[in-house]
Amino acid sequence: MTYGNETHPSPTAAGESILRCENITKSFLGVNALNGASFEVPRNMITALIGPNGAGKTTLVNILSGAMRSDAGTTHLGSVDVTNWESYRIARLGLMRTFQLSRELGGLTVLENLLVAPKVQAGESLINIFFRPRLLKREERQNIERATEILATYGLYELRDNRARELSGGQKKLLEISRGVMAAPTVFLLDEPMAGVNPALIDRIAGYILDMKRQGMTVLMIEHNLNVVEKICDFVIVLAEGKTLATGRLSELRANPEVVQAYLGEVINASTTN
Amino acid sequence: MSAIWYYVFTLVFFLFDYFILAMGLNIQYGETGILNFAYIGFVAVGAYMTGVAGMPNAGTSGQHYILGLSLPFPVNLIIGGLSASALAFLVALITLRRLRTDYLAMVLISLSLVLYDISNNFIPLFNGADGLYNVPEPFASALKLTTNSFVPFFATVTGAIALILWFFMSRITRSPLGRTLRAIRDDPTVASALGKGVFRYQLTSMLVGSFYAGVGGGLIIQFGGSFNPTAWLPGETFVIFAVIIVGGVGNNVGMLVGALVVETLLIHLPAFLPAIPGHAGLIEYIDTMVIGVVLMIMLWFRPQGLVPERVRRSKFTLPEMATSSGTSVVAPSASVSRETPSTDPTPHNEEKDAQ
Repeated sequence: MTYGNETHPSPTAAGESILRCENITKSFLGVNALNGASFEVPRNMITALIGPNGAGKTTLVNILSGAMRSDAGTTHLGSVDVTNWESYRIARLGLMRTFQLSRELGGLTVLENLLVAPKVQAGESLINIFFRPRLLKREERQNIERATEILATYGLYELRDNRARELSGGQKKLLEISRGVMAAPTVFLLDEPMAGVNPALIDRIAGYILDMKRQGMTVLMIEHNLNVVEKICDFVIVLAEGKTLATGRLSELRANPEVVQAYLGEVINASTTN
Repeated sequence: MSAIWYYVFTLVFFLFDYFILAMGLNIQYGETGILNFAYIGFVAVGAYMTGVAGMPNAGTSGQHYILGLSLPFPVNLIIGGLSASALAFLVALITLRRLRTDYLAMVLISLSLVLYDISNNFIPLFNGADGLYNVPEPFASALKLTTNSFVPFFATVTGAIALILWFFMSRITRSPLGRTLRAIRDDPTVASALGKGVFRYQLTSMLVGSFYAGVGGGLIIQFGGSFNPTAWLPGETFVIFAVIIVGGVGNNVGMLVGALVVETLLIHLPAFLPAIPGHAGLIEYIDTMVIGVVLMIMLWFRPQGLVPERVRRSKFTLPEMATSSGTSVVAPSASVSRETPSTDPTPHNEEKDAQ
């Protein structure tokens, strides 16, 4: 399977959803950012979350990942109700995320950024540090080997001993994605992974996302680049004014007048003008 | 023993004691990012509790204090350390879950003032403003130590304790726990998104750091034989911050260097200089100004400190990787194009086996 020629399975045929939210509302000082958003993310597919600026996409990702509490509504990860859980508990259940503006752990090296990612490590316990040194050594070696391999895959191997704050913007994007992969998530939320990166890197990141799917992950990505969405995403959720406007394949949504009016028309016009 | 050795060993004591105190603050601030402006309060609790655990029942001594358990050294010292940790547990439960950085710092500085006022005014606790005095000198009677010989002896004991605590701290900071603490320092939101229960780790850091504070305080009361509120004015916290900033935040060796420069050379060494005739106390004031100037110079020209936090380089390499091009020989599986089929995302099994 190659990038650009993906065959997209039908979300309805795949049936089972792994992430579900219902009637999520969130307001900031009286301004409604989310106004009853509901959708399901199908398992082991790449789903795009699109919508105009201010539609509430990032707020939704923040709520799904536990970085923010919703005012109302429920979220389920698999069969578990994770509504308003703290983010570390949701992460431990297998949901990872990236941020719209890359948030590297700047004082740590690139390799250390990945080594932090495994969710539960014996070496994070004081008792184990002093009484189970062999276990720690073995676990650390395994983690270092795996992290090094991931860095090699993502083209960051040579930078492994650099402090993360020294990386360029594109490299930080790659680091953030590879850090999430190191945690071996079930669901990976990517907040605008292609924003601000050059076209060649867009191609590479798209490839990495397809690899995630092949490895069994479910990906939900906020994305404005409709070419990428068309090529790699199986399913699209359109959010507008804090509500789910439509769901389906992008080709179907292009024919939906509401979606065209709310978002696609705007994007198509912008691309034609440019 | 000549007076000069008495002075030298006094300086050695303060070097090692502030090394311990700086390591404690460093794990909280340098490693975890907790701005603990109440740190001196934990030092004081450790000092008082070490004192009252080692002293006999107050009885008719003329002092008023709790406990009076007559416990031997270092049992009383451990009680001092654990007491400071117990206070840290309470403080962390109340503050760390709700407050971040600047607000936490404000609450902690207030706590420091509250602790100071309580100890200064509530006489039955630790003898109020007079503080504790006549604290027994450890091993002094057993080893028949005089006042002069006790100083080098206890400076050596403090050095040994500092080295043991340095060993423990190094184990912690070099472990995955230390790495996770630094991740929380750099960005607690990201650490939490990676599955790290930030509060739990901050609590661990507070407990360990405060234990070091308590032990450092306990050693001060055992060395001097007395401890009262003038010994731990809330501003003293910033001297320990100066130690870790000058030494190098996030580096345990830097703590020793910081303690040497700030505490030993800038604070205690000038105290042994003869007073300027007609200007009693002038040296002390100049000294405080010099510390301020040194701190500003460091923050301006070398904010990473004299011994900066080290980059923890990996010893593990994939030998098959190119070293000059900056890109990997193993084609990233995801660098696919319309023409290039994707490769297996994990093509390194053979490389791994070869390690």
